[in-house]
Amino acid sequence: MTQMRLHLTFPEERVREPIVYEICKNFPVVVNIRRADISDDSGWMELEMDGELPDLERTVAYLRDRGIVVAPIEKSILEG
Amino acid sequence: MARGETVANPSAGSKIKGLKCRECGRLYPAVAMHICEFCFGPLEVDYDYEAIAGRLSRRSIEEGPKSLWRYHELLPVTGAPTVGLHAGMTPLVHAKRLGKVLGLDNLYLKNDTVNHPTLSFKDRVVAVAMTRARELGFDTVACASTGNLANSVSAHAASVGMKCFVFIPHDLEAGKILGNLIYHPTVVAVRGNYDDVNRLCSEIGGEYPWAFVNINIRPYYAEGSKSLAFETAEQLGWRVPDQVVVPIASGSLLTKIWKGFQEFSKLGIVPANPALRVNGAQAEGCSPVYRAFVSGKNHLVPVKPNTIAKSLAIGNPADGFYSLDVVFKSKGAIAAATDPEIVEGMKLLAETEGIFAETAGGVTVASLKKLCEEGRIGRSDLTVAYITGNGLKTMEALTGALPEPVAIDASLSSFRKNVNPSN
Repeated sequence: MTQMRLHLTFPEERVREPIVYEICKNFPVVVNIRRADISDDSGWMELEMDGELPDLERTVAYLRDRGIVVAPIEKSILEG
Repeated sequence: MARGETVANPSAGSKIKGLKCRECGRLYPAVAMHICEFCFGPLEVDYDYEAIAGRLSRRSIEEGPKSLWRYHELLPVTGAPTVGLHAGMTPLVHAKRLGKVLGLDNLYLKNDTVNHPTLSFKDRVVAVAMTRARELGFDTVACASTGNLANSVSAHAASVGMKCFVFIPHDLEAGKILGNLIYHPTVVAVRGNYDDVNRLCSEIGGEYPWAFVNINIRPYYAEGSKSLAFETAEQLGWRVPDQVVVPIASGSLLTKIWKGFQEFSKLGIVPANPALRVNGAQAEGCSPVYRAFVSGKNHLVPVKPNTIAKSLAIGNPADGFYSLDVVFKSKGAIAAATDPEIVEGMKLLAETEGIFAETAGGVTVASLKKLCEEGRIGRSDLTVAYITGNGLKTMEALTGALPEPVAIDASLSSFRKNVNPSN
């Protein structure tokens, strides 16, 4: 089992969608939301996700395909 | 030490009480960790200000070394500094000529283009991060960077014989890494985009017993930026300015300059200045904080950077929310500069003050100009703009932007004909 700690940012068109439900239904991963702030037109969520590495990778790819920005919990680490 | 492991009483009997979550306030020992295990909020150093107040005075500072370590009481180290002993105490320039152009009578520039040893403000944060990392027992340091941070980490690691790993995107221009390779770190070119580099580094930061300066050492690393505020106040004759203009990349620099002034005021080193406005500067091609500011929101939307100001090109800034908060709280503003405006800002700074800044300096000057034009900064305001890196690092940005030399034959008549200096 591997754990990822992620920061997700939702664009306006995805804010009302049940994304967490979708990933739990479609992938064998355990999602634990630690912090979130969702408004009418944007939002973010910080969560940990446990599962086998290939399943976690597929989940991340799925989220990105849906237009959600997926970053590590530290967000941008690469600096100038 | 992997994530979560601790060393025994790493701050016993010192001014550091520990680490504190900025969101939920939970306390942790002063070890190598950066995220609250409960709410995932960022951790910040928690100081014993009462103890510090008993030792810190203007006199004690003035008797200290001519470096950022004269403020060691407010930096997160427990012993004597061991890395970056000459960082900081850069000039505060009274910019009369630039001020005249912008309509400012009291403009000052904090000139970190001459910071030691790698000519950017990163020498401050790295000096603090690596001194703390050694106190915590690390022998290996790492970072992910396309420029200034890599330079500074590599140079400082070499100076004390620490092992050093630098992660870069595989397609980074060769010229960018030469300045690192000279210090002989292990440079790892990651095949993938910026997002892939970020994720890999996050995973490595959690797996290897390294001091990753802007991951597990980040709470200490970020504190080094406070020295810019401390020096500014001291160099202004123990005053807090009315306006500061700070470039925003991760947002950490802006929040820590604010914090530095607050700490000095709280400890009675300077009189508080409630009029202080903290202003931000971003490149328009990477301006998530600016966009949130102009829309009046506190949600940042990550962007894909597309700007010549590479040192500010952070699309998903870790402290973006907190920098926005400081700007709103201090009634400041944020401006953004296009690429041509950045180059014009670099040229204006060089032509008026003789300071050759990297593109981030162009962003700061161009944004300062906009803030003046918008009437957000007044003629008589005591204003300080932060110039954070040297222009020799971003020469490519000036390609085609400067006049060609005047070519003449080796004769006086040719000189008179083509140059004609009396006219």
